[in-house]
Amino acid sequence: MIQVENIRKEFELTKKQQKENNTTDKVALAVKDVSFECQPGRIFSLLGPNGAGKTTTLRMLAGIIKPTQGSIKINGIDVQKKPNEAKKDIGFLTGSTGLYERLTANEIIAYFAKLYRVSDADFEERKENLYSLLGMHDFQDKRIGRLSTGMKQKVSIARTMIHDPKVVIFDEPTSGLDVITAENIIKLISDCKVQGKTVIFSSHIMSEVDLLCDDLAIIHKGNIVLRSTMQEFRDNMQTDSLTAEFIRVINENTKS
Amino acid sequence: MIFTIFKKELKDTLRDRRTIIAMIVVPVLVFPILLALSTTVTKYFDDKQKEEVLKIALVSDHTENQFTQRLSAIPDSLGPKELIFRQDTLGLKKEISMDSIQLAFIIPSNFDAEQADNRQTTIQVYHKGVNLGNKDRVENYLSIIENTLLAERFERLNLDKQLIDPINQQYIDISSEKEIIGKVAGGFLPYLFIIFGFIGCMYPAIDLFTGEKERKTLETLLTTPVPRWKILIGKMLVISLSGIAAAVFALLGMFAGLRLFNIVDVPGLSSIIDGILTPSFILGLLVLLIPLTIFFAGIMIPATIYAKSFKEAQSVLTPVNFIIFLPAFVGLLPNIELDYTTAFIPIVNIVLATKEMVAGTIDPILLIISYIVMVAVAAIAVLFSYKRFGKESNIIS
Repeated sequence: MIQVENIRKEFELTKKQQKENNTTDKVALAVKDVSFECQPGRIFSLLGPNGAGKTTTLRMLAGIIKPTQGSIKINGIDVQKKPNEAKKDIGFLTGSTGLYERLTANEIIAYFAKLYRVSDADFEERKENLYSLLGMHDFQDKRIGRLSTGMKQKVSIARTMIHDPKVVIFDEPTSGLDVITAENIIKLISDCKVQGKTVIFSSHIMSEVDLLCDDLAIIHKGNIVLRSTMQEFRDNMQTDSLTAEFIRVINENTKS
Repeated sequence: MIFTIFKKELKDTLRDRRTIIAMIVVPVLVFPILLALSTTVTKYFDDKQKEEVLKIALVSDHTENQFTQRLSAIPDSLGPKELIFRQDTLGLKKEISMDSIQLAFIIPSNFDAEQADNRQTTIQVYHKGVNLGNKDRVENYLSIIENTLLAERFERLNLDKQLIDPINQQYIDISSEKEIIGKVAGGFLPYLFIIFGFIGCMYPAIDLFTGEKERKTLETLLTTPVPRWKILIGKMLVISLSGIAAAVFALLGMFAGLRLFNIVDVPGLSSIIDGILTPSFILGLLVLLIPLTIFFAGIMIPATIYAKSFKEAQSVLTPVNFIIFLPAFVGLLPNIELDYTTAFIPIVNIVLATKEMVAGTIDPILLIISYIVMVAVAAIAVLFSYKRFGKESNIIS
């Protein structure tokens, strides 16, 4: 379970950044007073245009950066107070695979299993399951630099899931991927739900949202401008498509 | 967990071609190649100089003077020559300038008479100053002629040569060969390992911080339940180890070049090298290299974590090169020794301590002070790195 209460994130601006943004403000507000909850066995989607604050919010959930104020709890553990404790339950996957090009798939998976202190027995079992599920046996000993984007994404998924996280965070996971690779990710997200994991993913692709999500929040300029279940969102649509409705909500909040 | 990170980073680093070149290939090969090149080139020019037949003009009213006879008598083994006789100096300067003649001696007509009267004769020598070897050859010829004339003069006057040589200088050097090498070449060793230690640290530092930031692997690593300081230490150990490896490979390359391949022809060099490369010296050097390379890593990490690209990291570290290499020059200067002042100056103390270690004259107290000072600055550098590594704007690209 993820509990986010009134989180806010300010970034200090360098003089160069102040000049580039044409502002005298010393800080930029990336996320303002954001609150939401994600339940186990449900998929929560954080939607928003580019620069809305999605990635910053997810990075705070994953403990990569700290909120300026507010609190985040992962399965009841405060991320700010016990970040390493909370991180044990989290799997974090982004569109950019973030893999070591000079290591093999096996070496990377083994490395991350050690970092998460996965026992040898559990590691072998999970590795075998993931490799079979993702069809990774053929390229497990090849260096990442020699793999295709799709293969890399599979390694990245295995890396994210090797410690069997209870909470999985996907930051624009299908961004820039081909259809087949994107399909693997969609399937993974669905599987996580079936397994009772808490899933949050950010996206601006409404077809994915429609297919996967149970709950959603739309973030715009650092504020949550809409929060509902997917069913409520569909029921209350004022336009004829999800994409049009998403744009309408954004435009409405841009004017106000 | 630190060891897990260290092992992975080491494996990753050893598969990076750029790091392998900077850490092993260049340090091992640079000295044998440089030494071989410099000795070959020097020998080639020396031989060429010795074998070159100098055209020497002798300007005199008559060819039958003592100077000409004595110059002709100097054997070709001291430099082959061709003597050309001239009555006057007309066009001589132009010929020397155009190198059709290399030297000219202007011999006064009263040379023989003045020598018979035990007087001094002025011999003018025309030469081209830029040809340094020619002047050396002239001085050698004149010295031989002068010595024979002097010996004959003393014999003629029935005098003892000691009359003009009241002090017989005898120098008894009690320095061992090792000490001499230590003072002369000892300064070069620390200069060498500081340069290669720094270069050896540089590429892994850029790759493990800026590179990981660029490739987004740092973000992935930060999502794991590993305290940030452990990640930093794991990476830092790899950077330091690469620096130590580069420095050691450079020293090995130099000693191997000197000893195994006989690149420099110095009698007894092998035994001198054996005298320097004792187990205690190697151990002492490694002990000094540890805080030094940790210090290098400590100052490189903030720069590499700040940089957003490989290129930017290189540009940031280039000025640091100069700051580090400047104190390394101190080792090459004579008369600066390790004392209670220099022992407190980081890097300078390491340079001077190594020099003393090579010479076998190290004061253990000064060595301990130097070591403590280096450990302290290394610790400060590590703390500084930790602060910078904790800064969000640095770690998120």
